[in-house]
Amino acid sequence: MWPLIRGTLSGIVGYMVGALIATLTTTSTFSGEFALVLGFVFGLLGWLFGIGMWNAWGREWVGLTPKTEKAEGWRRYLRFNTDHKVIGAQYLVTMLIVFLLAGLVAMAMRAELASPGQNLFTADVYNKVMSMHGILMIAVAVAGILGAFGNYLVPLMIGADDMAFPRINALGYWMVPPVAIALLAAPLVGSFDAGWTAYPPLSVLNGDGQVLFNVAVIAFGLSSILGGLNIVATVITMRAPGMTWSKLPIFVWAAFAASILSLTVTQFFAASLIMILLDRIAGTTWFGAPGGGTALLYEHVFWFYSHPAVYIMVLPGMGVILEIISHFSRKPLFAYKAVVVSFLSIAGIGSVVWAHHMFTSGMAQNLEGPFMALTEAVSIPTGVIFLAAVGTLWRGKLWFQTPLLLAFFWIFQFLIGGITGVFLADFVTDLSLHDTYFVVAHFHYTIVGGSIFALMAGTFYWFPKVTGRMYNEKLGKIFATWFFVFFQLTFIPLFWVGLNGMNRRVATYQDNLGGVNRFASMMAMIMGLSFVLFVVNLLWSAKFGPVAPANPWNARTLEWQVSSPPPEHNFPSPPSVDGGPYDYGVVGAPTHLREVADPVG
Amino acid sequence: MKKDIVNATLLWIVLSILGWILVLNWNIFPPALAREARIVDDAFNLLTVLAVPVFTFVVAILIYAAFRFRSPGGLEDGPPIQDTGRILTAWLVVTIALAGGILINPGFVGMSEVRGEGGADVVIGVTGQRWSWTISYPNGVDVTSYTGELVLPVDQRIQFDITSLDPDVIHSFWIPAFRIKKDAVPGRITQMFITPTETGTFAEDPNVRVQCAELCGQGHAQMSMKVRVVEQAEFDAYLDEILAEGG
Ligand code: HEM
Ligand SMILES: [Cu+2]
Ligand SMILES: [Cu+2]
Repeated sequence: MWPLIRGTLSGIVGYMVGALIATLTTTSTFSGEFALVLGFVFGLLGWLFGIGMWNAWGREWVGLTPKTEKAEGWRRYLRFNTDHKVIGAQYLVTMLIVFLLAGLVAMAMRAELASPGQNLFTADVYNKVMSMHGILMIAVAVAGILGAFGNYLVPLMIGADDMAFPRINALGYWMVPPVAIALLAAPLVGSFDAGWTAYPPLSVLNGDGQVLFNVAVIAFGLSSILGGLNIVATVITMRAPGMTWSKLPIFVWAAFAASILSLTVTQFFAASLIMILLDRIAGTTWFGAPGGGTALLYEHVFWFYSHPAVYIMVLPGMGVILEIISHFSRKPLFAYKAVVVSFLSIAGIGSVVWAHHMFTSGMAQNLEGPFMALTEAVSIPTGVIFLAAVGTLWRGKLWFQTPLLLAFFWIFQFLIGGITGVFLADFVTDLSLHDTYFVVAHFHYTIVGGSIFALMAGTFYWFPKVTGRMYNEKLGKIFATWFFVFFQLTFIPLFWVGLNGMNRRVATYQDNLGGVNRFASMMAMIMGLSFVLFVVNLLWSAKFGPVAPANPWNARTLEWQVSSPPPEHNFPSPPSVDGGPYDYGVVGAPTHLREVADPVG
Repeated sequence: MKKDIVNATLLWIVLSILGWILVLNWNIFPPALAREARIVDDAFNLLTVLAVPVFTFVVAILIYAAFRFRSPGGLEDGPPIQDTGRILTAWLVVTIALAGGILINPGFVGMSEVRGEGGADVVIGVTGQRWSWTISYPNGVDVTSYTGELVLPVDQRIQFDITSLDPDVIHSFWIPAFRIKKDAVPGRITQMFITPTETGTFAEDPNVRVQCAELCGQGHAQMSMKVRVVEQAEFDAYLDEILAEGG
C-alpha cells in the first residue's frame, strides 16, 4: 500500500502547488479553470513520481541507482510494476470496474428515458450523466482490450520476456487513475455536459467541469500513445527466433494495427482539446466566430482522431475473436494473409474517412462524395474479417465453451453494426439518421458488439492463464446468453425510435415513442443484471475455481505452452518458434513452440 | 461436404425470403411530407433490401455451424482447408460489386437527387439560439418558436438559410417529416432545400416539427417548433396575417 499512499500524497501536493501557481500568477481563483488545469498537470506529475517514477526512473537522472520495490501476491498490483503481465491485469481490473460503473450510469439514463417526460434528472443533469457515461465507456473501449490483453499477451505470444519499454508501460498505466479521478470529480465543479465529442462553442461556453474533461482526456490520450508505441516497438523488435511476421498470432497483428493508429492519430484529439482550453482560458478564438474562428475546424480535427478511434476499439476485438474462433474450431484461420492485409487497410483507409460524421455540418459540398466513397471502401476489408470468421467455422470441430459462444454473438452483433453503418455512410440516408437514436443503436452495436463482447470473450478465454484457475463454464454460458439476448431487446427497438423522430442526447421526447422506450429501458435493466453473474463467476473462480492446467484449451499459441499463470519472465529461457500458430489438422505440422533454448552457461 | 453446402444454402435462401417479406411489408417510417423525404426513404429501402441477403448469409452459416459442426472436448482437429484463393477472390468480387453498386445508387444518384436543381421559389431564414428558433419569412416578419409555428407552402421549393446566433453554439435544423437536417453554425450560413409535397400539421403527427438535432445544452430536447404545411393560398394569407399583427 505504501507506494499508493506516497503517490496520493505527492499527487495532492502537486495539485496544490499547481493550483497555487495559477492563483498567484493570474486572476484565476483556487478552483478556477486555470487552477484546475495547472493543478491537474502538477498533480499528475506528483502522483507519477510518488507512485514509483522517481524510484524506477528519476533517480537515474541525478546519478543514483534506480530502486525496484519488489512485492509478492496482490501487493504486486498496487505499485509501479514493470512486469507486462501485472500491467495487463491492472488494466483488465481497472477497465472492468470503470465499465461496470459506466454501465450503472447507463441504467440511470434508461430509467430517465423510460417515459417521455422528465423523471429522474433535469435536462441539465441528464446531459452531464450522458456525457459521463459516454467518455468512461469510450475509455474502456479504447484501452480495455489493448491495455489488458495487448500488454498481457503480446509478449507471451511472440516469445518475448517483456515489452520493449517496460517502464514506459508502467507509466502509461499509472496515468489512468488520475484520469478517472479527474473525470469522476468533475461533478464537484459543475461537471461537463457537451457529450464525449465536446463540440465547441458549447464546450467553450459551458461550466468549469469541461476543463477537467479536457485535461483528463489529454492525459488519457498520452497514455494511449505510449501504449501504442510500446506494442509497435515490441512486435517489431522482440519476436523470438523463428517468429516471422507470417507466424504472428492474429491477435498480435490486430493489436499492432490498432497501436499504429493510437500512436499516430491520438494527438489530434489532444490538439483539439488543447485548442478548447486555450479558447477558454487564454482567450484565443480558434472556434469562436466573432474572433475569426470556426466551429467546423474542431469537427475536422476531432474526427480525424475519433473515427480511427473506433478502429482502435474494434481491431483488437477482431483479433481476439478470430483467435478464439480458430482455436475452438480446431482449424487453421481461414485467409490469414488476407486478414492481415485487411487489418492494415482498415487502419489506413479508416484514417481518411472522418468527414462522414459531418455530412450535415455545412462543410464544403465537394467533400461529401469522396468521403462517402472512402467510407464505403472500408466495408471491403471489413467483409474479409467476416469471411475469415465464417470460413474458419465452416466444417470445424466446434467446442462450444463460453469464449466461442461469445465469439458467435460478436459476429452477429458486429454484422448488425456493420450493416447499419452502411446506412450512415450513405449520404442521403445519413442526412436523416445523423444524430438520431438510429446512430445510438448503431454505435452500441459496433462498440459493445465489437469491443466489449470481445473483451468479455477474451476475459473468459485467458482467465485460466491469468489466474491459474478455471471459471465456471455453466455460469459463463448463462451470462453470455443473457447479456446477448437482452442486448438485442434493448437496442433493436432504438433503431426504430431513431427513424421515428427521436434525436440523441435528450432526456425528454415525443409522447408517441413512450411505449417502445419503456420496453427498451426494461430490457436494459435486465441486461444490466446479467453482470452480477459475470462478477460473481470471475471473483469466485479466481479464488476457489479448479486449478487450471497450462493449456486447458489444447491451443497451439505460445502463451498456452507455459504454466498458468506464466513464470515471472514468461519462458524459463528464450524460446524459438517453428510451425504456424493455427496448423490444426495439418498432417506433419511441427509444433508452434519448437523449444525453449538451453540456458546459456 | 456437398450436403453441408446445399443445406446451408437452403437455409440462407429461406432466411432471405423471410427477411424480404418482413422489410417489404413493414413501413417503419413516419409520414413523408416532402420530395426529399421520399428520396431518403427510397434509399433506405434499397439499402435494406440489399442488406437482407448479406445479413442472412452470415447468420445462416452461424446457425448451421452451431448445430452441425459441434465436437466437444477440443481434441479432434477440423480439416485444414488452406486453398483459400478462389473463395477469397469470389468474396472480394462480390463485396466490391456490392460496395460499388450502393456507392452509385443510392450513393451518388441519391446525392444529386436530394441536392436538386439550383434556385428556389421561397427563401426562409432560420436562426437558432439557445433554445429557440427564429424564422424570417420572405415578407420580413420574424416569428419565434416561443409563440409561433413554421408555416410552409406545399409544392414550392424552399430554400432555408440557416445560421446560429453569434456568439452561441451549434444547433441543427431538422424536420423529421422531411427527414433531412442541416447544422446551424455561428458565423456561417448553411443552406437546405426542401419541397414539401403534402400538407400536414404537428397535431396530426409529432414528426411535423422542427427539432434541434445537435446537442446545445439543457434546452436541447425542447428546442422544437410546430410545423404546418399548407396550400399556397393559405400560406399567402398567413403571411398577410403576421404582417398585419405588426411583425
Ligand atoms: C450496458 C448497457 C448500455 C446502455 C443501456 C447504454 C445506453 C446509452 C444511452 C441511453 C446513451 C445516450 C445516447 C444519446 O443520447 O446519444 C448512451 C450513449 C453512449 N454510450 Fe451507452 N449504453 C450502454 C453501454 C455502453 C457501452 C458498453 C459503451 C461503450 C463501450 C457505450 C458507449 C456510449 C457512448 C460513446 C455514448 C455517447 C455519449 C455521447 O453522445 O457523448 N455505451 N448509452
Ligand atoms: Cu466515423
Ligand atoms: Cu440542440
